Amino acid sequence: MKILGVLLRIEWLKAAKRRTFWVAVGAFAAFTALPVVERVRNARSDPNAVYALPESWPDILGSATGVGPLFVGVLMILLFAPEFSWRTARQNVIDGLSNERFYAGKAVVLVGLVLLFMGTTVLIGVGGTMLSPGGGGPGFIRPSDLSYMGGLALGMLVFGSAGMMLSAHLRSSGSALAILLLYLFVEEVVTRLMLGAEIDALRGAAEFLPFNLVEDLGDDLAHYPDVLEGVNADRAERGLAPLAFLKVGVLAVAALTYSASFLGRAFLSMRRRDL
Amino acid sequence: MHAIQTFDLTKRYGTRAVKSVLAVDRVSFVVEQGQVFGFLGPNGSGKTTTIGMLVGTIKPTGGGFDLFGASGPEGLLNARARVGATLETPNFYPYMSGRDNLRIAAGVKGVGRPRIEECLELVGLSARAKHRFKTYSLGMKQRLALAATMLSDPELIILDEPANGLDPQGIREIREIIRTLADRGKTIFLSSHLLAEVERTCSHVAIIRNGRIVTSGAVAEVVGGGSAVLLRAEDTDALAGAMEAYPDASSMRRTGEGVIAALESGDLASVTRYLAGHGIYLSHLAPYRPSLEEVFIDITRGAVDPMTEIAS
Ligand SMILES: Nc1ncnc2c1ncn2[C@@H]1O[C@H](COP(=O)(O)OP(=O)(O)OP(=O)(O)O)[C@@H](O)[C@H]1O
Ligand SMILES: [Mg+2]
Repeated sequence: MKILGVLLRIEWLKAAKRRTFWVAVGAFAAFTALPVVERVRNARSDPNAVYALPESWPDILGSATGVGPLFVGVLMILLFAPEFSWRTARQNVIDGLSNERFYAGKAVVLVGLVLLFMGTTVLIGVGGTMLSPGGGGPGFIRPSDLSYMGGLALGMLVFGSAGMMLSAHLRSSGSALAILLLYLFVEEVVTRLMLGAEIDALRGAAEFLPFNLVEDLGDDLAHYPDVLEGVNADRAERGLAPLAFLKVGVLAVAALTYSASFLGRAFLSMRRRDL
Repeated sequence: MHAIQTFDLTKRYGTRAVKSVLAVDRVSFVVEQGQVFGFLGPNGSGKTTTIGMLVGTIKPTGGGFDLFGASGPEGLLNARARVGATLETPNFYPYMSGRDNLRIAAGVKGVGRPRIEECLELVGLSARAKHRFKTYSLGMKQRLALAATMLSDPELIILDEPANGLDPQGIREIREIIRTLADRGKTIFLSSHLLAEVERTCSHVAIIRNGRIVTSGAVAEVVGGGSAVLLRAEDTDALAGAMEAYPDASSMRRTGEGVIAALESGDLASVTRYLAGHGIYLSHLAPYRPSLEEVFIDITRGAVDPMTEIAS
């Protein structure tokens, strides 16, 4: 337990002194806050445009899911991979961490990033509605909102673990970032090919590619059945096929499986290789 | 009690036979507590690799070692709390100040703030402690590394070429710090190319070549262990020729000063009698003590000279 405190302290020091870290957190906050600011201004000038919790959660979470996972993935790489080129990972181990403990420190960073980004999102949501006149429905948060929040957190976790795996394997932030972005692009193309094929099994499988999974988890339609119903009614009117989403539980299990396997790969690579 | 003991420590980089490098080959040595132990070898001989294994960043592929008698992952992790070390270059976070960098190391070692200031003071970095590491000169970086190794007041200090890239003044400062530490009873293990430096500061030395230890022991033994003699006569060619054929001379070489020969028996009277028998009359005969540099050059050139090969 004492070691957890040590890891938390040194990893916090490493991140807090890094300008990149604050720029990324600030950029994420700005991306999430801008639409909220817009809505709040509307609500202030137009009495019909109410902006209040819990109804505004899908909105707030929606802008956070747009960039959150990618930001966590990229930040994870920036906070992990350079430790190999600076050889500070090596020095940390010489100073008394084992490879396993060094890895545990980065896992602490991952959890911390997810919590920080979630916290920022919630803070922006609550802050925005406090500045906005008018009240919302009963309660502060509905089960669907919680599900959406969980989806956002899982998306960040998947990207963050992918960042950890790439950092541990490639040991250079440049290549890790390049491979991450290249993979996103490749998955996009592969998905299109799989969906284009007239084979149901392939179409079904496409949804389970890691970043499609994250996209689905970050889609409000997967979490709010009533909204999905409305959208599908609209599509039916226009003669389009209805949209369907897997159960959130299924998506969540798949996301956790990916995350665990990425983290496992990162761990094995940290354990085996010389520093 | 020994601080370090290795037995047949081996490291082969890479797994594919064609591309693999045998960097350290069955290295065995002992460093007793209180020794200042110099680890000498030419570039690429395996010094950094050996030290890397001792400090836990490189996994041995054969053999083993213990620190203060402790071995096994758990034992070594605990023993390393008594060790301060740097490997190759000073490794720090470039965007952080010297002081913040020490705070990280202190965090890992469980050392408090006052000690950080003490160590900064000790290496003369207090005035620049709040500046970023990347703005430091090489000498300052080396001194910060030294400060980091001393944070936990370790019993064993392992330094990989601590004087690398320093000017004479810097080298002298490092030497003084090492002496101070040695006087306080610390065990010091350092690798170096600076032979004169090692001869001055170290009590013991091991020389490694191509991943293998070729000689080790007390510095005095390594440089003076053989009974070598320096001979001079009017006709150096004749002298060299005669010594070449002398059965008791295990090795012989010519230098500007004359002829240096290692005598197996150390019997000087027989040499003079033998040479006189060949019509050569010596103008000079004296025991010869090579410098560590000569020993090093001899050994690492590949001509392993028995006059300097000491059983440890
Ligand atoms: N990560 C690595 N992968 C493959 N080979 C390596 C690796 N590190 C070192 N080597 C090889 O191992 C051998 C020993 O290298 P090492 O760095 O231990 O030598 P050294 O004695 O410290 O040299 P120097 O005096 O130049 O610092 C060299 O042949 C080197 O090329
Ligand atoms: Mg080296």
